[in-house]
Amino acid sequence: MSNYTVSKFLTWTKSAAGISIVATILIAVFAAINSGPYLLVNTIITGGMLALVATGLTLMLGVLNIAMFAHGEFFMIGSLTAYYVFTPISNYLSENPESFLAVIGPLIAILCAAIAGALSGIVAEKIVFGPLRRRSSDNWVMNSFLLCVGLSVLLVNMHQLIFGAEFKGIVQYWKGMPISIADVFISRDRAMAFVISAVIVALFWFFMTYTRTGMSIRAVSQDITGAQIVGIDIENVVLLTISLACALSAVAGGSLLFMYPSYPTVGLEPLYLAWFVVILSGLGNILGAVAGAFMVALLKAITVEYVGSGWDFVIPSILITLILIFKPSGIFGSDVRGALDK
Amino acid sequence: MLLEVKNLDAGYGYLQILRSVSLNIEKGEYVCIVGPNGAGKSTTMKTIAGLISPMGGTIFFNGENITGLPASQITKKGISFVSEELNLFVNMTVQENLYMGAYIIKDKKVQNERLDFVFSLFPRLAERKYQLAGTMSGGERKMLAIGRGMMSDPKLLLVDEPSFGLAPQLVANVFESLDVLIKAGVTILLVEQNVTKTLAVTDRGYILENGKVGLEGKSHDLADDPYVRKVFLGV
Repeated sequence: MSNYTVSKFLTWTKSAAGISIVATILIAVFAAINSGPYLLVNTIITGGMLALVATGLTLMLGVLNIAMFAHGEFFMIGSLTAYYVFTPISNYLSENPESFLAVIGPLIAILCAAIAGALSGIVAEKIVFGPLRRRSSDNWVMNSFLLCVGLSVLLVNMHQLIFGAEFKGIVQYWKGMPISIADVFISRDRAMAFVISAVIVALFWFFMTYTRTGMSIRAVSQDITGAQIVGIDIENVVLLTISLACALSAVAGGSLLFMYPSYPTVGLEPLYLAWFVVILSGLGNILGAVAGAFMVALLKAITVEYVGSGWDFVIPSILITLILIFKPSGIFGSDVRGALDK
Repeated sequence: MLLEVKNLDAGYGYLQILRSVSLNIEKGEYVCIVGPNGAGKSTTMKTIAGLISPMGGTIFFNGENITGLPASQITKKGISFVSEELNLFVNMTVQENLYMGAYIIKDKKVQNERLDFVFSLFPRLAERKYQLAGTMSGGERKMLAIGRGMMSDPKLLLVDEPSFGLAPQLVANVFESLDVLIKAGVTILLVEQNVTKTLAVTDRGYILENGKVGLEGKSHDLADDPYVRKVFLGV
């Protein structure tokens, strides 16, 4: 049995997934020794948040067959909601620093961001995607993509019109001394951002793997006719998926408010990075998207460190181009049929 | 009367395939629809299963009007459909596929009883329960699809072209497993191109031609019918 496990592990290390994961870990260790552990900390925090946005994107692509180019705008909605919820809390805190809100205030803001994201996702499905799906018989991928671009332009400009174009940011969520782990100081906000993303990704994975509802989402993404045959109500699954995906993106926006202040086009960077992740890891694979998120985050961090901060989109783009040429199914996508092949 | 289809018209978009098809099935019967390619056999099945909404006519199941209900509702009424394409969840394991088949049953204990029942019908599935459905052979996939159809404890099982694309030995296996289901008291409506074999095992048959019911009757009478012998059996 142990021999079998070892040989299976050795085969895995020779697969594309194995090579890239082992290489990522080696590069991460090397970079951490060479330039200091802060690089690792940055990678983990960016990667965790990117994982939230990218899993949402994967889900939308797998279940609804929508190339979601408006996903960054739900990140923006999340950060905007968190800003408007947290500002009064923070004003109250400056007068009553001992209040219990010092600990749970930021969590309330992030929770509100998630709820706002889910609600706006439902609204988008009800008035934008749903009507199109009922009316279009072919060319759905292209039509829904165009709708997404339109939705994105609309949301960006609504933000600018109603809330203005200036940066709406906060100094920090959690006050207090940075946490120190082995001579590295990590601000509490960053540590919490990582904890939040880790908990959500773990819960989300559990939900998709073991619960009846999560399995019905996977069933719809794998075979929509099969899902109808076994008695799954497709409309409910679609609504649930879109609200989950948008809530995940909004949580990322809300919990990164201290790094990325809210402004109309704040969602573009996470959107592009999440697309890098989805192309890198292949479609429809949630765990693959999580691993891919950390790879892209690491790539970005070491590019900024060793090449220069102007290059942090160039190097990932080159990698994506190479992947699209040589392995279009993505690193983890070998046994997964692409959603767009349907 | 378990299923009563009256004057059913159906098709895709503006293309009408079925013209006034009527058929009925009693409880416990083994009924087949045979006919040439493009006669509308699969369309009939898909319309009963709710994947296509009918243009006209009525479908009554257990005395209840189910015309035009969506597929998920029809499954809840007790009709299970095993499609020609099988529509398995290829990236789920055999066991997960079977549990999805029992999606409409909420009680975990009943689900497990159904799982044991299906494993007793198809011991091969029990051996492979942790294998991904997409990595199984053609015959095993058919078994899995039929097993998944049985998981919801249906009153009526619709089986579309189970022998399609299978080696002769495996075709015999699939027919044997349908026999086991009939003995277990399930009602089956079977669509097949293999006319000789089908008429030999079923109770009653309908011959579908150009979207209309041409002939109907006891299977052995149909097998002896001069017209059927000439057109389908080539004798």
